[in-house]
Amino acid sequence: MYVEMKQINKKFDGFQASSNVSFGVEKGQLAALLGPSGSGKTTILRMIAGLDEPDSGDIMINGRRVNQLPGSRRGIGFVFQNYALFRYMTVADNIAFGLEVQKQDKRTIKRRVEELLELIGMQDLGKRYPHQLSGGQRQRVAFARALAPNPQLLLLDEPFAAIDAKVRRELRTWLKGMIERVGITSIFVTHDQEEALELADLIIVTNCGKVEQIGTPKEICERPESDFVKEFIDTARIWRL
Amino acid sequence: MKNVKRTYEQDMEGDGIHSLQKVIEPRRNEGSCTVKYFLIGVSVLFLFIMLFLPLMVVAANALKEGWRVYKENVLDEYTVKALKLTLLAAVTAVTTNTVFGIFASFLLSKYNFRGRQLLASLIDLPFSISPVIAGLVFILTFGNIGWMGGFLKANHIKIVFAVPGVLLGTIFVTLPFVFRELFPVMNAAGKDEEEAAALMGAGGFTIFRKITFPHIKWALLYGMVLCTARAMGEFGAVSVISGHLRGKTNTLPLQVEILYNEFNTTAAFSVSSILVILAVLILIVKSFVERKRK
Amino acid sequence: MRKRKAVYISALVMGIAVCGTGCNGDSASSGKETMELLNVSYDPTREFYAEYNELFCKYWKEQTGQEITVTQSHGGSGSQARSVIEGNEADVVTLALAHDVTAIEKTGLIHENWMEEYESNSSPYTSTIVFLVRKGNEKNIRDWDDLVKKEVDVITPNPKTSGGACWNFLAAWAYWQEHDEEKEEETKEYMKKMYENVLVLDSGARGATNTFVENGQGDVLIAWENEAYLAMEEYPEQYEIVTPSISILAEPSVAVVDQNAEEHGTTETAEAYLEYLYSDEAQRLAGENYYRPSKGGILQEFSEQFNLEMDLVTINDFGGWDEAFETYFSDGAVFDQIYTE
Repeated sequence: MYVEMKQINKKFDGFQASSNVSFGVEKGQLAALLGPSGSGKTTILRMIAGLDEPDSGDIMINGRRVNQLPGSRRGIGFVFQNYALFRYMTVADNIAFGLEVQKQDKRTIKRRVEELLELIGMQDLGKRYPHQLSGGQRQRVAFARALAPNPQLLLLDEPFAAIDAKVRRELRTWLKGMIERVGITSIFVTHDQEEALELADLIIVTNCGKVEQIGTPKEICERPESDFVKEFIDTARIWRL
Repeated sequence: MKNVKRTYEQDMEGDGIHSLQKVIEPRRNEGSCTVKYFLIGVSVLFLFIMLFLPLMVVAANALKEGWRVYKENVLDEYTVKALKLTLLAAVTAVTTNTVFGIFASFLLSKYNFRGRQLLASLIDLPFSISPVIAGLVFILTFGNIGWMGGFLKANHIKIVFAVPGVLLGTIFVTLPFVFRELFPVMNAAGKDEEEAAALMGAGGFTIFRKITFPHIKWALLYGMVLCTARAMGEFGAVSVISGHLRGKTNTLPLQVEILYNEFNTTAAFSVSSILVILAVLILIVKSFVERKRK
Repeated sequence: MRKRKAVYISALVMGIAVCGTGCNGDSASSGKETMELLNVSYDPTREFYAEYNELFCKYWKEQTGQEITVTQSHGGSGSQARSVIEGNEADVVTLALAHDVTAIEKTGLIHENWMEEYESNSSPYTSTIVFLVRKGNEKNIRDWDDLVKKEVDVITPNPKTSGGACWNFLAAWAYWQEHDEEKEEETKEYMKKMYENVLVLDSGARGATNTFVENGQGDVLIAWENEAYLAMEEYPEQYEIVTPSISILAEPSVAVVDQNAEEHGTTETAEAYLEYLYSDEAQRLAGENYYRPSKGGILQEFSEQFNLEMDLVTINDFGGWDEAFETYFSDGAVFDQIYTE
């Protein structure tokens, strides 16, 4: 297991956001945390990232217990739901940010930024500012920025929530392709069953702060382990048909 | 004017594809012209009576006895000392309240903690208190009979009836200005960008410098300008705290009062004109900042 | 963690700023080179002390070789006394009435028996209460009686905050009381009528003068004699002084604020500063500034300027300041009864 959550519990002001959450993601896998709004999936993601602390339980990355390690030292790239691009920096500066913090030399940074711009297909847009980009373009920049410092784990918080439906399908395919190309372990959060079923190698279904089921898309669809999972996935199937 | 239909070609997605957009402009009403001119007339009249006229009176009275007397009044030793104290008070207040404003807005907009609302309301307190009351509060705290009085006296620390008191009073009445400009801006911006930067390993100061500051630059400057203007004009609190020590704890506004009380109206107006000039300078800076903000 | 650090740093910065400026502001003036004296005075003495300070500094330099700077503070006598009590570190106080100095004495800042320190009950100069009217005196104001007439508008300050106003009140009272204790109710009625005619009740003597002179309000100003003369000097040909048939000998008092002077090491100089007020030169200076010199000899030199034949009562006719204040000016006393009814 590359990423493991062991018996994680988290309370926010008396509200149990996570209850005995345990799961594992293998190296190179693309996993989805799937569940309705408020089911605790973003909380889990933020705890892996180090943005929130669990009350109890262990977070393991690459065999190491990282609970006490600050997020910036966990080798993580994070793509925020609303991209959180630095609005006063150009696209190139945004992508370069992580590397500059690591104090890499200018040439290395320049090379890496060009490499990533090419990867996301925005070679000529390096000098633009975030407000001059479309939603889809911003998402691609956020992706590049997260990848720039060569993280070992990529976390994405509802990456397609802010995209209009038309563009969403294209981007989904593009993202899956990218992740496979780069080969990085990834976990993304979504409430869209179709998305999870289409993209993920592993799905972790959440509900009310608990893990309902863990399995491949095939397993989830064919062998739902609870009524909730059955109903939740059924909805997706109806749409699919 | 009739309704107008216009068509535009625009590249909305930035992907090189132009699409046609239709825009319809609303009809303009004839009646709105009268209303417009009426409102403009009222505003101009109001400004003239409340602003322009008094300014003209100040200028006329200041120069009543001629340019040489005006220069004498303005360069008088006590006036110069008062000017220095006013500037010192303004600089101190702006510096302190800028630092405070930045810390407080950052704290209140990026962090969640119990008592957040209470703190925000407390910061607005100096707005709601009459400055005279504020001055009194300082006397009752730091004066001889105040609860800190014994401690201060024993350690030979002079606050009220001395320059520190004047500075403190000015800082107090101008406390909310920078905060009030910064907070809405920081609050609206949320904390996502800062979180993203922190996650990539950026330290506190780097985050502030590269991410927070560019966003609040103009709001900060605007708040500082307002703070300066208020600090220079402060009278009530400082009047109570200062002890009116001639040449030591008199600010420009207090000096104007003293001159007026000495039957020296011309000098009073001359010194007032200094305040007016300072105010105009501040206004110019303010318009410049406002324009840059847009 | 970050937010706690932020709070600490801010508190630290502010603390340093306050203490830094505070400690610098406290210059214990004990060097032999330049000594500083703080004279906390009342409103009308601005012009007099500006000149007197020059005179004294020259005198002291000749006598001892020491340089002195005197800082002045002026305001309503009561407010000034309060400020000294609250920490305004005056070396000497030169206030409008003994009562204000006694208030400071009660807190221990001034030693007992301060009044006997200097001649004439520690009043180096005196004054009295007169009327200032506009040139021509259209409403023909001659005496206190005229002030209760319906068409007359009076300007006088508030006895609650102004020393001069207390003297005004007592002078008026003396007129109607006519040394007759039976007349108390009647006197109250007259006083009430007079205060009903008051247009503006300023907080200080100078404020009242300004209202009358600069703002042109009212027909008559009840004023310190020296204020009236000063107004006449500033605006010649515009005003007249009318001397009422009865007035009061107003004795402004001076004292060294012993505790402050001891701390500052200025006792000797402060005492000399007040002592010098009784010198011939200073007494003449007082007369030139329209104060009545307490030294009989010098007073005579100004017999043309002042009406020396006035019928004057003194504070002792009211049983001294403690009793007078208790009876007339404390909360709920006669003035409050008259003015709020």
